[in-house]
Amino acid sequence: MPLTARGREILGSLPGVAPTVTTDGIGCEIVRREELCIGCGRCVKVCPSAAIAESSRFDPAQLYDAPAGTTRGALGAALRRIARHEPDGSFEVPERVRTFRTIEFDRTRCLGCGACTRACPTGAVTARPVNAGEIGGFAGADRVPCAVPA
Amino acid sequence: MPSAARTGGAVAEPERFATEPAADDGERTIIGFFCRECAYAAADATGNARVPLPTTVRSVLVPCTGRVGPLHVMSALAEGADGVFLAGCLEGQCHYREGNLSALDRIAFVQRLLESVGVERERVQMFTMSAADSPRFVAATKRMHATISALPRLERR
Repeated sequence: MPLTARGREILGSLPGVAPTVTTDGIGCEIVRREELCIGCGRCVKVCPSAAIAESSRFDPAQLYDAPAGTTRGALGAALRRIARHEPDGSFEVPERVRTFRTIEFDRTRCLGCGACTRACPTGAVTARPVNAGEIGGFAGADRVPCAVPA
Repeated sequence: MPSAARTGGAVAEPERFATEPAADDGERTIIGFFCRECAYAAADATGNARVPLPTTVRSVLVPCTGRVGPLHVMSALAEGADGVFLAGCLEGQCHYREGNLSALDRIAFVQRLLESVGVERERVQMFTMSAADSPRFVAATKRMHATISALPRLERR
């Protein structure tokens, strides 16, 4: 569907979006950087389509990739010092441990609304405009406009 | 070391942990995080009663065991401790409502973390006791001392 003049004006004001794109292409692609994730679960709470879920398992290898200066990074450094071998897979996390969980992102259910991007306290979730069809099997018409600065 | 006579017979035969050789490869270091409301009071009572304790244990006072996170425990292990234990209030008697329950789960998490990299899970443990239960504190400390002394030193890179 071609855009109206007002539509082109709005799109033109968004960084990184060409004013020639149609409504088929104005959802965002969500890019997750797992090494920055602190597992706070805020993206899970705000996701309108339940595309993000908190897993009850945790893979210690995630700690090794976390940047220094973060709690996960410090924990990874401590673990590396005393480790006798590489972490052998994920394990079940006890109920009251809230932050050391794997965040699972289901790309096929993502609407591209960018709510998780705004909720993320560490910038681990970013959004960038894409054209329809690039996100696994999702019809462009169902996507809501991206209002997240790239 | 006070003699049995000086303690008024409260301790019939003091056990001499300090002079016991811990193991063939030197004495271990154990860090104990004690909750101010229960375990530290029990530790105080133990000290006042002049009950000898293993010298391997270094105590750290925390307001509540719920304050101790995985990073505290892992940092202690990475920086020189051979074992870490938490001593807090009995289940359901935490002065901050549920701090000790959180601590129990965090200790379980750290144990799984250690197991996943091939380190013995017994190096990290948690005990609960009431403020008046000095014997239980002594038993926990001794048990931790015995467990860690039986294990090899924790090697670091």
